[in-house]
Amino acid sequence: MTQGNERKPAGRSPFFYAGLMLAAYGVVAALAITDSVSQTALFVLMLLPFGLVFMIINAANRRADAGLETCIAKGDAQRRYVRRVAIFSALYLVALAVLTYLSKNYELSEVLRFSLALLPGLAVLGIFWAIGRLIVEEQDEFMRMLIVRQSLIATGLALGAASVWGFLESAEVAPHLDAYWWAIVWFFGLGIGAIANRIQYGAWGAV
Amino acid sequence: MKNRLKVLRAERDWSQQDLADRLGVSRQSVNAIETGKYDPSLPLAFTIAETFAMAIEEIFERG
Repeated sequence: MTQGNERKPAGRSPFFYAGLMLAAYGVVAALAITDSVSQTALFVLMLLPFGLVFMIINAANRRADAGLETCIAKGDAQRRYVRRVAIFSALYLVALAVLTYLSKNYELSEVLRFSLALLPGLAVLGIFWAIGRLIVEEQDEFMRMLIVRQSLIATGLALGAASVWGFLESAEVAPHLDAYWWAIVWFFGLGIGAIANRIQYGAWGAV
Repeated sequence: MKNRLKVLRAERDWSQQDLADRLGVSRQSVNAIETGKYDPSLPLAFTIAETFAMAIEEIFERG
């Protein structure tokens, strides 16, 4: 926790890269809706902005090292968390790419399809595990409370959205959504939780 | 809960970061406690009291 004497330049805010990622996904969504590009090209385009996650993590770490306000406070638990999330995110991307490529280009057996389809889900499970470990390992009780609060808000949002959507889908008034989207809604909920933390406690949290 | 952290800190010419380093917590934690947005646990309250060499009730009071 002790602040080092040497401070590195803070660089761009993590929100700059988050905005870039959002804008990039906006463009990809527009391309998908208008059917302007092929499915393969769309898949590659969807993967590229995800690389900005690493830029966001690096920017947040730089700000923490520079002693500036950040959503990621300085501490060993947070550093381990960032490393774990980076590893599982990379595994997720690789698993997704392998799954998509092999499924499109080869006739796979059911066992192989099952095994390959399991991999991206397991990588996402790894990210959930990393968040759980952060809650366990975080020594700063205030930061731990913020993370728990973020997670609860995300859980409420994801389960609530899944419940409402499920009934709408059953009533055939909403299109089918693959279940992995609820994990994405949960991660989005972490962002909402961070904003709620900032409003109520003056700090974003650590996830 | 009210507290005298800001005054005690000012008397010692400590920044929030200085106090955070002494307590082994983040600066955000010190800020949240100081502004009354977050009440510390009993162990942290004891650590704060020990840092200022005072009793807990000399620092915190029911608000």
